[in-house]
Amino acid sequence: MKFKNLIAERKNKKIYEADGKVYKTFDKSFSKADILNEALNTARVEEETELDIAKIVGVEMNETDSVIIMNYIEGDNLQDLMDANPDKEDEYLEFFVDLQISVHAQKAPMLNKLKDKMHRKISETDLDATTRYDLHTRLESMPKHDKVCHGDFNPSNIIVAKDDTPYILDWSHVTRGNASADVARTYLLFKLKAQDELAEKYLNLFCKKTDTAKQYVQLWMPIVAASQSVKGNEEEREFLLSWVEVVDYQ
Amino acid sequence: MEAEKRKAITNVEDLAKALSRLKEAQKIFSTFSQEQVDKIFFAAASAANKARIPLAKLAVEETKMGVVEDKVIKNNYASEHIYNAYRDTKTCGIISEDQAFGHKIIAEPVGVVAAVIPTTNPTSTAIFKCLISLKTRNAIIISPHPRAKECTIEAARIVAEAAIAAGAPEGIIDWIDIPSLELTNMVMKESDIILATGGPGMVKSAYSSGKPALGVGAGNTPAIIDKSANIELAVNSVIHSKTFDNGMICASEQAVIVAKEIYNEVKTEFAKRGCYFLQDKEIDKVRKTIIINGALNAKIVGQSAATIAEIADVKVPQGTKILIGEVQSVELSEEFAHEKLSPVLAMYKADDIEDAFAKAEALIADGGYGHTSAIYLNELTEKATLREFEQRMKTCRILVNTPSSHGGIGDLYNFKLTPSLTLGCGSWGGNSVSENVGVKHLLNIKTVAERRENMLWFRIPSKIYIKKGCLPVALRELKEEENKKRVFIVTDEFLYKNGFTDAIEKQLDEMGINHQTFFNVQPDPTLASVYEGTAQMNQFQPDTIIAIGGGSAMDAAKIMWVLYEHPDVDFKDMAMRFIDIRKRVYKFPKMGQKAYFVAIPTTAGTGSEVTPFSVITDEKTQIKYPIADYELLPQMAIIDVDYHMTAPKSVTAASGIDVVTHCMEALVAMLATDYTDGIALHALKNTFKYLPRCYDDGTNDVEAREKMANAACMAGMAFGNAFLGICHSLAHKLGAYHHLPHGVANALLLEQVIRFNASEQPVKMGTFSQYQYPNALQKYAEVADYLGLGGKNDEEKLENLIAEFKKLRKHIEIKDSIKEYGVDEEVFLSTLDEMVENAFDDQCTGANPRYPLMSEIKQIYLNAYYGESTFAEPDMPNESQLKKKNRSKKA
Repeated sequence: MKFKNLIAERKNKKIYEADGKVYKTFDKSFSKADILNEALNTARVEEETELDIAKIVGVEMNETDSVIIMNYIEGDNLQDLMDANPDKEDEYLEFFVDLQISVHAQKAPMLNKLKDKMHRKISETDLDATTRYDLHTRLESMPKHDKVCHGDFNPSNIIVAKDDTPYILDWSHVTRGNASADVARTYLLFKLKAQDELAEKYLNLFCKKTDTAKQYVQLWMPIVAASQSVKGNEEEREFLLSWVEVVDYQ
Repeated sequence: MEAEKRKAITNVEDLAKALSRLKEAQKIFSTFSQEQVDKIFFAAASAANKARIPLAKLAVEETKMGVVEDKVIKNNYASEHIYNAYRDTKTCGIISEDQAFGHKIIAEPVGVVAAVIPTTNPTSTAIFKCLISLKTRNAIIISPHPRAKECTIEAARIVAEAAIAAGAPEGIIDWIDIPSLELTNMVMKESDIILATGGPGMVKSAYSSGKPALGVGAGNTPAIIDKSANIELAVNSVIHSKTFDNGMICASEQAVIVAKEIYNEVKTEFAKRGCYFLQDKEIDKVRKTIIINGALNAKIVGQSAATIAEIADVKVPQGTKILIGEVQSVELSEEFAHEKLSPVLAMYKADDIEDAFAKAEALIADGGYGHTSAIYLNELTEKATLREFEQRMKTCRILVNTPSSHGGIGDLYNFKLTPSLTLGCGSWGGNSVSENVGVKHLLNIKTVAERRENMLWFRIPSKIYIKKGCLPVALRELKEEENKKRVFIVTDEFLYKNGFTDAIEKQLDEMGINHQTFFNVQPDPTLASVYEGTAQMNQFQPDTIIAIGGGSAMDAAKIMWVLYEHPDVDFKDMAMRFIDIRKRVYKFPKMGQKAYFVAIPTTAGTGSEVTPFSVITDEKTQIKYPIADYELLPQMAIIDVDYHMTAPKSVTAASGIDVVTHCMEALVAMLATDYTDGIALHALKNTFKYLPRCYDDGTNDVEAREKMANAACMAGMAFGNAFLGICHSLAHKLGAYHHLPHGVANALLLEQVIRFNASEQPVKMGTFSQYQYPNALQKYAEVADYLGLGGKNDEEKLENLIAEFKKLRKHIEIKDSIKEYGVDEEVFLSTLDEMVENAFDDQCTGANPRYPLMSEIKQIYLNAYYGESTFAEPDMPNESQLKKKNRSKKA
């Protein structure tokens, strides 16, 4: 499919805008199932929660590529806002954390379980059997919750509309489960972008606002790092593995 | 041989088969004798001990952690010390028996033990768990950690082969060859008990598996070095313990907290012995190396100090024993405050002992709740400090002047702590056990309890003097035998004014004994008059109390006696209701320390001269306190009919009928014995015979009066030991609410109560081991026989007994119903429910052979009020139903 107005480009993905619609195109390296799954997840969040998101209006598939069509949200990307206004970092961070907490407050019973997904991801890693065993054991012992977890919650996935309403994009990784895993994931994303200071600030702010013990979030870090390593590139690998290779006391 | 037959367990199907094999093997093993088991235990321990070096080498080679030579000690310990600790322990069948109490303790195996083995002690823990399973006739399936599976399996295989060679069933020990979370979870779900040693994830899984689990928690052992400590001993103990197997024992010290006075000396000693103190930036480098995102870096666990320094990019001499970081914070944000499972140690300076305790508490809260804490101090001079340490540390092991790795596992540096490689951390650590796990945790203990009867008793005053005119003779003993000097006489005004105390006073004067008399005792004696008497007594300071009179004088004197000897007693405590007088909560004070107690009855009724009872009324609240304890037994009772002759008719009748009730109730009471039965029967027979004569011609009939005086006293002995029943419970409340004389109240209720008790189908029978089945009817029939009343069967005999009683009642002019005594119907009914509840709760209710429902008590009261004879029982099936069934079958 051919569109003119390219607004974002990711590995194997291109996003266009036309006539008030967003066309998220995937090349053929994506399985149909993955694309339909993303559309399904997005539809569930749209229908089962009270969150403001870009609504699905269509899915199309052909021989060469596939596309998910959504409403276009007019507004500014939070990441751009943060980059442009470094002095307002604290303000934006607070806004960001509050938004994430509001996502966690939602329930969507039809979503996949975070724990199942994590177990699957751990099994898919090329970590050695011993490390996988320890990770599975750790994951199994974590408390089972059913909060909506975005799974890739970072400022670039948030559009602030003209009326200041934040719209959250990219629900391909959404699951229901333990919010601390989602937070560990966001923390990891900041760390991978070498935003160490922001990462710490973020984690402290979240823990303070939700009265969560930092260690509790930290317990998830080896698990989210392992799952990230499945799709991670070579540079990230060493960093991620250093997070993974920890032990519980015995 | 066994290994060849065995098929590796790598998936769910293999494991399912293995589990059924284990169950089969365990079934056979459960029939083994102690002798067979001990032989197997010995063989298995010996084999493990012999393999200590190869297993240690294998463990280090495979896990790349720890020190071979130290692992040799662990393997050696796990076989030798465990064997030694349990070699003579009985674990099969009856392990203790007490024939007198009919009590047996039987040890049974639990079944299949699931054992999760950690990487830190992969061979020694496997040996330990296999040995304690074998000793307890359990099968065991081991779930090794993948990082240490080869050596764990090898340890299990060696123990298994030796056990089987010594006679254990094939397949009694098994293991998962390729561990996975799925298989480990299945093992835990399918076993009978789980011994989980490992990380918190594993322990949590064990606890959530639904099977009983003995999981153990994390340690973060702080070691305080007090200023009184022997510094060389302290420092070198810590070094010894912390370097043991490169710090992988969970009880190992994670931080030392050193008193500031000796800080430099301690530091010098550590340095002198080969420990490295990290400098400024080095501390930070090590921090970032040992802990990642709050978790322990796997790469440093069980490594040498030099290796860890290298990873952290810190240069230290190769032989460095421990890396020490001098830090301040005890918060989790300080990496050194964590458990480190390696020769890395935090060192804190404490301003004083309070600061040291606070730091130790914080470190324990960081991650070592329930595990182990240690202190070094002078045990002799610092007892108070040690005491406070013991109280404040929330750890299940508190070690003193001991390397904690070696100390915590027991039997090396102390000799009563159970040797174990699985250390419970109690509820603080989220565990089900707080001790070191041992064989007792793998046994189901059966207790066999045979029915036994309570010890009973027969307790009466040591001296009871009987005969007309015996009083002066008996009183001589006060001088001649007891050497008493001051006598306090308690009586009532009527008796005092009518000269009843003259003979006593005269006798005392003759013997040169000082005496004083208190005569203000009222009927239903009150606390006020008791306090008045006690005050007089306190002034006079007697060494003897003589109570002369009816029940009131004797009861009042008993309480004065208590208050004279123990001024602080509380009546509410003393009157507390009990089920068993020997198990009552209240411990009655010891009596007789200050005064000797003599009781002389002037009526034939209460029996108080030989009973352990007294009833006293608080005149302000109108509460009656029934006090019962053998401490209240008089020491001497004098039954001299000279003092009975002038009792008026009404008193003779009421107290005489009371004697009948005492006997009747004592005879059927659950605590009745042959002793009380014999006495009660004879007293009852004489009462039936002589009470009418006393009533008719009391002032002249000395024989009848004397027989009645004795009968009353004997009845007192009977009910003072067998106790009473609900006739008294109901009479107490009837008397209190409607002001009927006690004896009359009893007389109005007794028929009803006899009928109630005589039921062969009581709704509820009394609870007392001796009381085997409802037997009151039989008892009443025996009474009728003894009285010679005749009757074809028990029911007839019962009716004859009741008729005889009613005849006596009529003779002494006691009416047939409460109503006839002028108690207003409306008033009676309005107080009924309250009376019922109070009667139910009366102390006398407990000994009754039939446990009354409140509704039943109500019916008895109503029957007694209206003079009805029938006690209506609920409809119940009886033996006749069986005949009916047979008939219907034939039809």
